[in-house]
Amino acid sequence: MSERIAALIAEVEEDKTLEEVRRALDDGADPLSLVEALREGMSVVGEKYEAKEYFLPDLILSAEIFKEAIALIEPRLKSDSISARGTVVIGTAQGDIHDIGKNIVATMLRCNGYEVHDLGVDVPPGAFVEKAAQTGAGMVAISGLLTLAFDAMRDTVDALAEAGLRDRLKIIIGGGPVNEKVLDYCGADAYGKDPSEAVRLAEKHLG
Amino acid sequence: MKEKLMLRPGDTMTSEERMKAAIRLQVPDRVPAVPCVYYYFATYSGLSYADLFEPKLYRRATMKLFDELGPWDAYNFFHTYYRELASFFIPMVTMEPGFELPRDIIRQFKEEEIMQPEDYAHIVEMSKRTPRLSFYRVMMDFMPRIYDYIQAGWRSYAFVLPRFAAQLAYYRYEFRDWFDRGATLFYSIGPVEVPFDTFSLARGLIPFVKDLSRFPGEIMKAAEALVPGYIFLIKATVNLFGIKRAMIDLHRSSNDFLSPDQFRRYALPSLKLLVDGLHDEGISVIMHCDGNWDMNLEALRELPAGQCVIQLDGATDIFKAKEVIGDRMCIYGDVPASMLALGAPAEVDEYCHRLIEEVGRGGGFMLGTGCELAPNARAENVKAMLDSVLKYGYYDRPEK
Repeated sequence: MSERIAALIAEVEEDKTLEEVRRALDDGADPLSLVEALREGMSVVGEKYEAKEYFLPDLILSAEIFKEAIALIEPRLKSDSISARGTVVIGTAQGDIHDIGKNIVATMLRCNGYEVHDLGVDVPPGAFVEKAAQTGAGMVAISGLLTLAFDAMRDTVDALAEAGLRDRLKIIIGGGPVNEKVLDYCGADAYGKDPSEAVRLAEKHLG
Repeated sequence: MKEKLMLRPGDTMTSEERMKAAIRLQVPDRVPAVPCVYYYFATYSGLSYADLFEPKLYRRATMKLFDELGPWDAYNFFHTYYRELASFFIPMVTMEPGFELPRDIIRQFKEEEIMQPEDYAHIVEMSKRTPRLSFYRVMMDFMPRIYDYIQAGWRSYAFVLPRFAAQLAYYRYEFRDWFDRGATLFYSIGPVEVPFDTFSLARGLIPFVKDLSRFPGEIMKAAEALVPGYIFLIKATVNLFGIKRAMIDLHRSSNDFLSPDQFRRYALPSLKLLVDGLHDEGISVIMHCDGNWDMNLEALRELPAGQCVIQLDGATDIFKAKEVIGDRMCIYGDVPASMLALGAPAEVDEYCHRLIEEVGRGGGFMLGTGCELAPNARAENVKAMLDSVLKYGYYDRPEK
């Protein structure tokens, strides 16, 4: 049953996935194994996206299915029974209010089992520092669409260093104009060109 | 006979002749340079971004940059002195410098649903009744949803149309600066978001993706229904300003947003209808293609040859684009924003040299910025980009 659920969400089949999840729950399936199956399916979606077999609409639709399926499963789960693979603090750099890319990355990270603290848009460096310290996050992800966000990204990296957090976490950046050059400028650890790369970076650094 | 005004001492063609030759995939005297500039005008003149809403300040800033770092061949303009008019072309909720934002922060867009699923059917119906006015009418429906101080119905027309007319008058007045200096206009109107992408912007990305998976046919019908309204608007401004070119924006059709199959099946038909319709009117089309178009390029071969320009922003492999569609359309781009903001002049010079040599080979190329010139670009990098067409861009000088 779990295999079928994984396969259905990997095929971005909304109705069939939800129907199968409902049936499994009615049959008394272990809710955690269903969550695991959904994550497995999402991981296939990520692979297909990287192979350019899937595109952004497939990521968005599969993440929506994941959310709906989790909403069905959640009442059967004991609280805190889903263990997170790691913690990520995410936000759009100060001065920039664009949020589509950041939201999609946050959703994909959640779908892949990470605890995500989304600080929203136009996030000052201090807010990243505060949240990273408070949650003990292993990764900070900064998004930006504007070239003006480069300075804010650099300031955030500097602020995390000043707070003494730099060595214990990885900083990743992403967004339309972000590339190797921007990475060098900001002093972050890595950059991702798409949501799938963000998940890969989380897997690499957080497990 | 009036003597032709050349832009640069070594030129043998006027800027207008050069642009036309490049679009027709012929070999002009040299590669044209057409940066896409708005906020950088303010940066270079030490103005705030909000100052660009002031016609006098804007105009002075444009000429200062042109005179000091230029010249360049064509004026790629997309400013409006009335903020509401920007939404006329990109129907989204905006935050503007000097309004919702501090004066030194550039315009930003909010992803909100200003269009509802039932609007697709409404657009089809309305376009049947008044096909040529469909574009205006849709935008007038959207305006009150974006700005709470614009009232629905005839009052939205009363609000927008006088501002639209005043803006056109400002344009006409400002264009003289450019013509007097030997430059031409990049287009008579632009950048108008194509219907399909308009829906993605106005619905919001995630709702639009869901719409597209549920009822793609309705979206296509609505996009196609709007085409006559676009052609009517574009023809009207072409008649007013005399340059038979228009720019259309495709912000949401790249492979970053759609699969190549979705592009070909759902987005291309209305785009083709629009481009073919303009072609019939003798109007060339500049397509502002943000994002990665690598896997859509082949499909664009269906558009009429020697009629279109594709503007790339650095996310598409421009060198590959030359191979795939360079024999069908003029390629325009693509000095990346990050290079102009963070790189060094030598790096910009080297990249432009490569663009001119490889993408410019055999004509059909215009050098430009990847999307808009970064507001925090370094002046020496902008200069290096504009100078590169003089150093390397003349086709009759093999030693270049």
